[in-house]
Amino acid sequence: MTNKAVVLAAGEGRRLRPLTSLRPKPMVPVGNRPVLEHVVEALADAGIDEVVFVVGYRRERIQTYFGDGDDWGVDVEYVVQDKQLGTGHALLQAEEAVDGEFLVVNGDSIVDASLVSSLVSANAPAVAVTRSDQPTDYGVVDTEDGRVVGIEEKPRVYDAETETINAGVYRLDEAVFDEIRSRPGGETSLTEALASLADGDRVDAVRVEGWTDVSHLWDLLRVNSEVVGGRGEDDADVHPTAYVADGVALGDDATVGPHATILPGTALGDNANVGAGAVVANSVVFADARVGENAVVRDSVVAEDARLGSNATVEGGRADVVVEGELYEDVRLGGVVGDYSTIGGGACLEPGTVLGNDVRVGTGTVVDGRVSSETEVRR
Amino acid sequence: MCGIVGYAGDQDALPVLVDGLQRLEYRGYDSAGVCLRTEPLTVHKKAGEVGELVSAVPEASDATSGLGHTRWSTHGEPTDENAHPHLDCDARYGVVHNGIIENYGDLREELEDAGHVFKSETDTEVVPHLLEEADGTLVERLSSVVERLEGSYALACVSADTDGVVVARNDSPLVVGRGDDANYVGSDVTAFVEHTRKVSYLHDGDIARITADGVEVWNHGERVDRDVETVDWDVEAAEKGGYEHYMLKEIHEQPRSLRKTVSERTDETEGEALLEINDDVLARNERVEFVACGTSYHAALYACRLFEEYAELPATAEYASEYDGPHDPTDTLVIAVTQSGETADTLSATRRAGREGAETLAVTNTVGSTAARETDEVVYIRAGPEIGVAATKTFASQVVTLALVAISAGRARDTLPAVEASSLVSDLRRVPGGVQKILDQEDAVEEAAKEYGYDDAFFFVGRRLGVSVALEGALKLKEISYDHAEGFPAGELKHGPLALVTSDTPVLAVLTEGTRPEKTLNNVKEVESREAPVLAVASEGDDEAERLADTVFTVPSLGEMEPLLANVYLQLFAYHVARLKGRPIDKPRNLAKSVTVE
Repeated sequence: MTNKAVVLAAGEGRRLRPLTSLRPKPMVPVGNRPVLEHVVEALADAGIDEVVFVVGYRRERIQTYFGDGDDWGVDVEYVVQDKQLGTGHALLQAEEAVDGEFLVVNGDSIVDASLVSSLVSANAPAVAVTRSDQPTDYGVVDTEDGRVVGIEEKPRVYDAETETINAGVYRLDEAVFDEIRSRPGGETSLTEALASLADGDRVDAVRVEGWTDVSHLWDLLRVNSEVVGGRGEDDADVHPTAYVADGVALGDDATVGPHATILPGTALGDNANVGAGAVVANSVVFADARVGENAVVRDSVVAEDARLGSNATVEGGRADVVVEGELYEDVRLGGVVGDYSTIGGGACLEPGTVLGNDVRVGTGTVVDGRVSSETEVRR
Repeated sequence: MCGIVGYAGDQDALPVLVDGLQRLEYRGYDSAGVCLRTEPLTVHKKAGEVGELVSAVPEASDATSGLGHTRWSTHGEPTDENAHPHLDCDARYGVVHNGIIENYGDLREELEDAGHVFKSETDTEVVPHLLEEADGTLVERLSSVVERLEGSYALACVSADTDGVVVARNDSPLVVGRGDDANYVGSDVTAFVEHTRKVSYLHDGDIARITADGVEVWNHGERVDRDVETVDWDVEAAEKGGYEHYMLKEIHEQPRSLRKTVSERTDETEGEALLEINDDVLARNERVEFVACGTSYHAALYACRLFEEYAELPATAEYASEYDGPHDPTDTLVIAVTQSGETADTLSATRRAGREGAETLAVTNTVGSTAARETDEVVYIRAGPEIGVAATKTFASQVVTLALVAISAGRARDTLPAVEASSLVSDLRRVPGGVQKILDQEDAVEEAAKEYGYDDAFFFVGRRLGVSVALEGALKLKEISYDHAEGFPAGELKHGPLALVTSDTPVLAVLTEGTRPEKTLNNVKEVESREAPVLAVASEGDDEAERLADTVFTVPSLGEMEPLLANVYLQLFAYHVARLKGRPIDKPRNLAKSVTVE
């Protein structure tokens, strides 16, 4: 019986910059809980009681949040991947911490407990596969009679509307370590090792539902809106004249001022503050962030300790956004305000604006496009 | 400080005791031992780490009750002989002890005259011999023995004749843990919290008998019941969670612990701090006197300025060990700042203030602690358990809690307008984010530690709120890196310490808002002309600091909380200097977490 899981949580998640400039992708909050917490809860619900976290990039954030795992009813052990040399290399770091059969889970996409359970009952080696309409972002798995016959990482071109992709949850045994070590070159991916395993032995492809990735900034808004819903409001401080819709998550000591309006799809993190008369809709507001009086924030991400001045406006809506040199057309993204950034009173963000960390936007300024970290923008 | 663990149940006592000792290691100690109730009693004890004791004891035993102790030397050097437990001549009575027995000299002389042979130099050893002399059951014997003892003690005893553990408390904490088929006793709950969360705190004068079946408590001969409470924090949280040291873990926990500190305690709309204390205490006194030690004293110094400014109250901070009683007990509020709530010097000063008629307020991290129970009012800092001997997150939570108290006092006394209070509480809520921003710069601090960490000595300077931070920065560095470090008001440099400044003595200057940076910059020039390297912590956008200092760390704009953010850089600096030098950061030599002797 498998009751141990290795969670790969050492990577950065560059496509979610600037949110991942200061935290690893597993720590990006969805419904006021880091992606990784959703994973850990699914593991615990599926009966896993020992978890090995492979951590690396900005690992303090993960360690500080999860500690020894006691709050989730699992024992957490940490192993460190000092350099991010691929998922195979990451798994190798956990070799000493596991024996026999075990689960391997990517810490940067959300899985549910039933998905985990179906892998717990599979025979190693096995990989979870699911349908996706963005196959170019993932590993596409060719299957035949329930077994893997090939895996292609992030294919450039694909015809079909949806494809079977690797959901990043595996049941493996110790044989995988030798397979990873036999790969040429320093950087190794776990999928390459699996593809080569599948050349010789049978690798089962287990079809699953209940997998959600936050690949891009706009996915964060969509996935957040799917998971929020009246959680933790007891510990929030909502003024009697404020309006808080259903389908909202409020963190501990999140404060909503007089006549402010919090509309569906919104998560306010711990100690976040929404000033009098402000409107926040379909947005993710991280811990410690502050939305000033009468500000309007729609379809947006406001990162930790970011501050919007009075009457600042992020109107929301759709825009074309460039990520890592690639153009994504007509995505719903009002704007992103990086950690520690401040937006002056009355300033406006055009749809699709992405501000880095610690950006200063002057009073009444209108901003568009991507603004790199530690920049000052004035009228 | 010394730690006690005791067990009485239906299982082997040895593993429970050894585990308890390992849990108590954080208190600081120099030797450890266990006593198993066998016929006669079995004792294993050793100077040095609990690990060494563990390798010297068998894996299992037949005993179902026993005692364990971690010792921090007061009478007699840390040797195997002086380690607890101590026995009488015939190994019928075993005793462990926290505190000091002041009249042990006379007692020892009397016992030696009666033919008792002593094996150690400790004050404790008189107790088993006194038990041997007394009559009756173990409870009766201990009751008559404590009549003869002067001083402070928590005593735990076993006898070869009966199962169970008997304990006595006077001025030194003892907690009883209530399990299903076993009961426990400890100097604090960490000793046994993995077995049970149901605890009873004993009072001064209590004698308790703990057996597998139950707990009986007497106070001066009368049977009494002590409330059973449930401990809500877990000791598991005390484990390191992937960090090399508790200290670094606790530094990184500050944003989260500070959110807890301020949670539901601010009302920005109305401009109020919402605390669980009676505002009249703050309104009717005309003077505030803080009593505290070590890091808590530095938090109190910080708070003095805030009380004077927000509440227009004359406020002074005194080292608790130097406290001579309230200036005027009829109108003085005495505020005790103590992380553990068990600091002997602080308790003693607070009791004195209370006896003389002053109202008392405790600011502590420990629910149910002696300070919390003995003062008129208590405010908890909610920092969660702190294991590293060097206080970090509790300093931050103390300052923020004291700021809330100062704001409450200002509102209650009508000296602080609501609009000001609103902006101040808003700043307090921004402290967690501000601290995180500094933690994100850790790599740069580590670089500075590499560059300057091997220099001869370190001077920390600041003015106003920066003085307390300079003192705290120096204390952190000397505690864990063993380097010579001194903190003082920047203006005092030229009155003496400047003679020590050379090109090999880095000066760390606090130049943020709230510290009169423009004045301190003159002192920076003084030391630069002596070629001392200058590391400055300044407000963002301070061009003058950037121009003058060799290394500048910046803090975001946060009013009078900026010096508190500056302190986080100094914590990281101390940590990385100590780490480079391979110091035992969580357990510095000679130091204890909770200092329960005066």
